[in-house]
Amino acid sequence: MTEPTARNDSEPIVPVDEKDLVRRAREGDLEAYNQLMRCYQERIYATIYHMTANHEDANDLAQESFIKAFQALKSFKGNSSFYTWIYRIAVNKTINFLKRRKNRIHLSLNNLDLNAEHDPDLVALISDRTPRREADLSELQEKLNEALLKLSELHRLVVVLHDVQGLSHDEIAKVMNCNIGTVRSRLFYARQQLQGWLSDYLKPT
Amino acid sequence: MNENEPNFESLRRLLALKRHEMPPPRYFDSFSSQVIARIRAGEAGTPASPLEHLFGQIPWLLESLQTFEMKPVFAGAYASALCLLLAAGVIFAERPESTSQASGEPTPQIISSFTSATTAALPQPVNQTLIADNSINPMFNFQSTPSSFGQILPGAQLVDYSLPGN
Repeated sequence: MTEPTARNDSEPIVPVDEKDLVRRAREGDLEAYNQLMRCYQERIYATIYHMTANHEDANDLAQESFIKAFQALKSFKGNSSFYTWIYRIAVNKTINFLKRRKNRIHLSLNNLDLNAEHDPDLVALISDRTPRREADLSELQEKLNEALLKLSELHRLVVVLHDVQGLSHDEIAKVMNCNIGTVRSRLFYARQQLQGWLSDYLKPT
Repeated sequence: MNENEPNFESLRRLLALKRHEMPPPRYFDSFSSQVIARIRAGEAGTPASPLEHLFGQIPWLLESLQTFEMKPVFAGAYASALCLLLAAGVIFAERPESTSQASGEPTPQIISSFTSATTAALPQPVNQTLIADNSINPMFNFQSTPSSFGQILPGAQLVDYSLPGN
C-alpha cells in the first residue's frame, strides 16, 4: 500500500515507495504507473495549464507527457527524482508546443474556485470602484493571464513554477536544467515586466 | 531588502489568483485511467517506432535530445561544431590530393609526350578556326585531325527561313 507523505502545501505528495513504484512501472506494471500518476497529475496539469492558459491544450499535453514518460521510463536512471524528471518532460513538451503555435493563442480559462472570493490577498487587491466582486475577479484573471502570455516561455515558466506552484529556486533549476542564478535573473525580469503591464491592477505597497 | 529593489509583494498576491483556477469538477478522477487506456491502446495497436525503440536502447540519446529541446543554444553549438568538422574534413581531404599531385600526377613532360603521340596518331587539320579554338585544350590538337568521312567544316551556316513567294 502506498502511503502518501505530504511535505508541505507547495510540494507534491510523494509516495514513500516511489522507487519501488518506478521500478515496477519500468517493468510494465501499469497499476504502479497509475499510482505514480495520481501523485503528480494535478501539479503537472496545473503547470501546463498556467503556461498555456487553455484547459483543452493542458489536458492533451498532460496526457501526452505521462504517456511519453511511461515510454521513456527505461531511460530514467534515478539520478534525479521521478518528480523532477516528469516535470522536465512536461515542461519540454509544453515549450515545444507553445513555440510551434506562436501568435495563435486562444484563452480557455478554468473557473475560479469559491475560495478566491474570500482570499484576503485578492480581496485587498480588488478595486472598490466596481460593486460586484465576482466581475472584478474575472477581469483580473483575464488581465493576469494575458500579461503572463506576453512573457517569453522561459520567463513565464519561472514565474509559474515559483510564484504559482511554489517551487524553490533549486528545484526550478533542476527542472529547467540551468543554474540558480539564471532562475533568479529570469524571475526578476519576468516580475518586472508583469508589474509594468499590470500596474493598473496592483495597489502600491 | 535593498530599498532600490522593486517590491513584488503586490504582484505575488495577484499571482495567487492563478492557484484558484480549477479544472472542471471530477476532472482528475478519470485522468489517469484515460492515460492508462491510451498506453494500452498504443501497446496493442501500434508498435513502438524505430526511433522510440532506439531511445529505449540508448538512453543518453534521449537525454541529449531533451537537453537540445530545453536549450536550443546547445543544439546550435552542436550543429556549428558539426559544420566546422565537415569543413575541416573537406580541407584536409583536399590537401593529400595536392601532395599526391606532386608525387603521382602526370608531369607536364608526360602530358606533352601524350599530346605529341596523339597528334601523330590523328589525321591532319581542316580548319584554322578550329586550331585557334583548340589552343585552349592542351590535350587534343585538331591541327592534325583528319576525318574518316572527309573534311568537316565547322562553323555557322546561314539558313533561310523565308517562305517561298515572300
